[in-house]
Amino acid sequence: MDELKEVLSEETEVSAEIETIENEEAVAPSEEADVLVQGVMHERDMKKVSAKQRVVKILVQVGLYAFLGFMALVVLFPFYWMLISSVKSVDEYNMNPPTLFPQKFIFHNYVESFNAANLGTLFVNTVYVGVVSTLISLVITVLSAFAFARLEFKGKNVLFGFLLATMMIPGELFTITNYQTVNNFGWMNTYTVLIVPFLVSVFYIYLLKQNFMQIPNELYLAAKVDGTTDLKYLWKVMIPLALPTLISITILKMMGAWNTYVWPKLVANDEAHRLITNGLRAISFVDEADKPNIPVQMAAVAMVSAPLFMVFIFLRKYIMKGVSRSGIKG
Amino acid sequence: MAVLNFLNRVFVEGFWKTFCVKWIWQTFCVAWVHDAFYIQFLCKKLKYDKWKGWVYLAPCIALLLVFTVWPIINTVRVSFLEGYDSLAAIGGETFDIGIGNFERVVNAPKFLTCLKNTMLLCVLTVPISTILALLIAVCLNAIKPLQRALQTIFFLPYVTNSIAIGMVFMAMFQMVGSNFGSDNQYIASAGIINNIIGLFGVEPINWVNANSSYGANIAVLTIYIVWNALPFKILILLGGLQSVNKQYYEAAKIDSTPRWRVFTRITVPLLSPMLAYVVITGFIGGFKEYSSIVGIFDAKMGAPGQAGTLNTMVGYIYDAIANTKHGIASAAALILFAIIFVVTMINLYVSKKKTHY
Amino acid sequence: MKVELQNLTKIFPSRNKKSGEEVVAVNNFTFTIPDGKLVGLLGPSGCGKSTTLYMISGLQQPTSGKIFFGEEDVTELSPENRGIGLVFQNYALYPHMTVRQNILFPLQNLRGKDKMTKQQMLDRAYEAAKLVQIDGLMDRKPNELSGGQQQRVAIARALVKMPRVLLLDEPLSNLDARLRLQTREEIRRIQKETGITTIFVTHDQEEAMSISDIIVVMKLGVVQQIGKPQEIYDDPINLFVAKFLGTPPINVLSGYVKDEKLYIGDAEIMTVNGVDDRDVTVAIRPEGFNLEENGPLVCALSNVEVMGRDVSIVSRHESSLNPVLRSIINADNKIDITAETVSFSLKPHKVFLFDAETEERIYFEV
Repeated sequence: MDELKEVLSEETEVSAEIETIENEEAVAPSEEADVLVQGVMHERDMKKVSAKQRVVKILVQVGLYAFLGFMALVVLFPFYWMLISSVKSVDEYNMNPPTLFPQKFIFHNYVESFNAANLGTLFVNTVYVGVVSTLISLVITVLSAFAFARLEFKGKNVLFGFLLATMMIPGELFTITNYQTVNNFGWMNTYTVLIVPFLVSVFYIYLLKQNFMQIPNELYLAAKVDGTTDLKYLWKVMIPLALPTLISITILKMMGAWNTYVWPKLVANDEAHRLITNGLRAISFVDEADKPNIPVQMAAVAMVSAPLFMVFIFLRKYIMKGVSRSGIKG
Repeated sequence: MAVLNFLNRVFVEGFWKTFCVKWIWQTFCVAWVHDAFYIQFLCKKLKYDKWKGWVYLAPCIALLLVFTVWPIINTVRVSFLEGYDSLAAIGGETFDIGIGNFERVVNAPKFLTCLKNTMLLCVLTVPISTILALLIAVCLNAIKPLQRALQTIFFLPYVTNSIAIGMVFMAMFQMVGSNFGSDNQYIASAGIINNIIGLFGVEPINWVNANSSYGANIAVLTIYIVWNALPFKILILLGGLQSVNKQYYEAAKIDSTPRWRVFTRITVPLLSPMLAYVVITGFIGGFKEYSSIVGIFDAKMGAPGQAGTLNTMVGYIYDAIANTKHGIASAAALILFAIIFVVTMINLYVSKKKTHY
Repeated sequence: MKVELQNLTKIFPSRNKKSGEEVVAVNNFTFTIPDGKLVGLLGPSGCGKSTTLYMISGLQQPTSGKIFFGEEDVTELSPENRGIGLVFQNYALYPHMTVRQNILFPLQNLRGKDKMTKQQMLDRAYEAAKLVQIDGLMDRKPNELSGGQQQRVAIARALVKMPRVLLLDEPLSNLDARLRLQTREEIRRIQKETGITTIFVTHDQEEAMSISDIIVVMKLGVVQQIGKPQEIYDDPINLFVAKFLGTPPINVLSGYVKDEKLYIGDAEIMTVNGVDDRDVTVAIRPEGFNLEENGPLVCALSNVEVMGRDVSIVSRHESSLNPVLRSIINADNKIDITAETVSFSLKPHKVFLFDAETEERIYFEV
């Protein structure tokens, strides 16, 4: 238990450090140190040493950029391959050696894959499940975090300790019984089954509670003196002040809904309720001759990935901040 | 059309009616009404305060009871019911108490395959991705121009759907042709990866197609999982590096400490809490590996014609759930939990000894 | 509004469950604050002064005892129904709201017959802001204001509801020395202008002395003395009060009384009629010393600090319970800085005797 708490507190430390990443100007070049080094040296050696040092420094920098550039290529290549493959013809895709740039752009692949995979329904389903579960989950998270952060009641610490302890248990352990439970509730193949079981996220409650605790208690007392109800205080003061964390939680939760695979496959894998990831994996993209049609498949993959990238481009700061604290993917 | 269907389902199923209205609104209203009461009538607030917290926590607790607490109890219960089958249980069948499920799981060749695959992937991917991430983070920390742009690029794999991008990796490693592995095999295209390594004179390798070798499959998985795991690790380690006080480095410079010693004697020790965190989460993630394999090899968990050869512990549990063998699934889940718990504890123990704060 | 505290007691349950010891934060506090006065609750940290303030505000419930505002028993009322304004030590301004929104916030919570129209609220907020002279800063956020300005906003927010009682928790402790002087005058002025009964908490005796009509000195949950600042200064009831009030602090020496004469060391200092023979603690205000060539109290001279109008003589005496004796003498007196010793006679009304054990005051006649 203590270890867990330690790990968690480390996470919050890390998140504080992300702020420094954002603020790159703060990282000043350590030229003073160079000056100091030279200062210690004997004066006549100074020119020689500094010339040699400069060469070494440049070489090191070249090496750093070469390595990072190569790794960046490795990281980016799959995305590039996805994009160019998605606009190739099947024939061009099957050429050996493969072309690194499409000879002819076939954008019709996108239309084809959209229809073949029934992506419209999948998108709507996923967005609906994502939005609803995120909204309800936010309400629950905010109320719980507030109770843990600001209200005094018997058994609070025991309960919170228990919540943290459940974070150690792998989700698969819950899935078994939940599968039976939702079956008994008659929730199979509904939206409900995709939303309800994951509404409570202990980690987000923990995250938000920590954030709420940083807000001075005097604000709460002041609001009490002013006759503010708890909910109004929550809405008018706590939520605006914790907004960055709430945005992080929202994005991560939405991304989670977008990427979830196993649970929907178990409990709601019918045409009507299928979510995007399952749809993508379940459909085999083939051409007229029943041969796999990779370009069309890549078009579908690109369409599924696009919203994630859009979100990333616009809300990068919140995602990176949230992730550095959570480390939970999806 | 899709939208119409969707609207129809929303209203026919009455999700909002059954769930939202009943649960959330009730909770909300209860809290509101209480606050209103509290302000206007209940001046003796002491009594109210004692259970106000529970009102706020009510939705959370209710959901936790159903979807977290009960599963924990039930999983343990079911795992000790010999050959528990959820369909049979609904049919009214009763089961003896015993440790048969655990015995069957531990002795099942399928489970042992899964255990081996999971362990192998863990042992391969965690060190590789950690070392690579450390290298990249240290390099990123040492440059100034382009640092932010590169940092963003390295984070990109995180915001992906691991199944979708798995399919891209599959496409990159895949050969196009027919009758792989037999005498009359025909290769139309060896795929981009084989062409790239061909530049260095390496013969095309059958990575993921039918009749591919286990080693090749694992290699592809390792590459994909490492690619996928890098962003998080780089983010954490870079954050750690940037919080290290620059004075340590300046002091080392004055003593003209060689770069390598600076790295091993200053950087790594100061980073040790972050490293420990990254390794622990890496192991936990590794033991729960599942969707990367589905992404590349489909839910059959193996190259074509080799279903199940690449299955993992989580995959084994899901297969058992889908087959209503919940006794087996519970036992396997508890074993998984035990393994993760032990590995985490060992990690924490080691890192506590090695961590320098 | 008259504020009456009757046998107010607050007991906190022990943090450590095993030892089961309770902490008595405030013990049997009875006091009536007359209408329209500025009262300072003074004491070292942990003396229960903030707890008293919080009980008056309603944020904490007394374990026993009653609180009356005028004739109305408010002990059971919640804070918002008591008609109080409370200014917190760190001001507790809502950081994401402008000054105007901060001041408006309490008004927006009014319900029923107190409910106001938007224009009324704006007018009231402007009035309150004008009273504390921040009406030009209404659209700023708290982090764009100086500490003193934030303090004023907090006061305006507390006043905007027109409270019956204004409570200030350590109102000056977060300000720098210069602002502190200015702000305490300001608080005094606002209190005078509004005539609201005001209670403030402080650990700084100078602050309490300078602006309070009445001071309540507390120690470990028990009220030591209540009175006008000058009365308490001139007539402390026990050693604690004598030591707590006054800068530079009072000088404390051990001595004894024999045959109605006070001795410090072996020197006979002065006549103290009506005191039995006993060991005493002698407390002498710094201004209670007269420089006198053959004065009875002979001290080793260590330093002379020139302060313009006065000089402060720092000296040592073996009976002193403080490291040094500090006396303030008119600068007209000639002092030989090179001398080894310095001799004083004492002004009897600046000398207090206390029982060496109970530290209670022993009165004497000259």
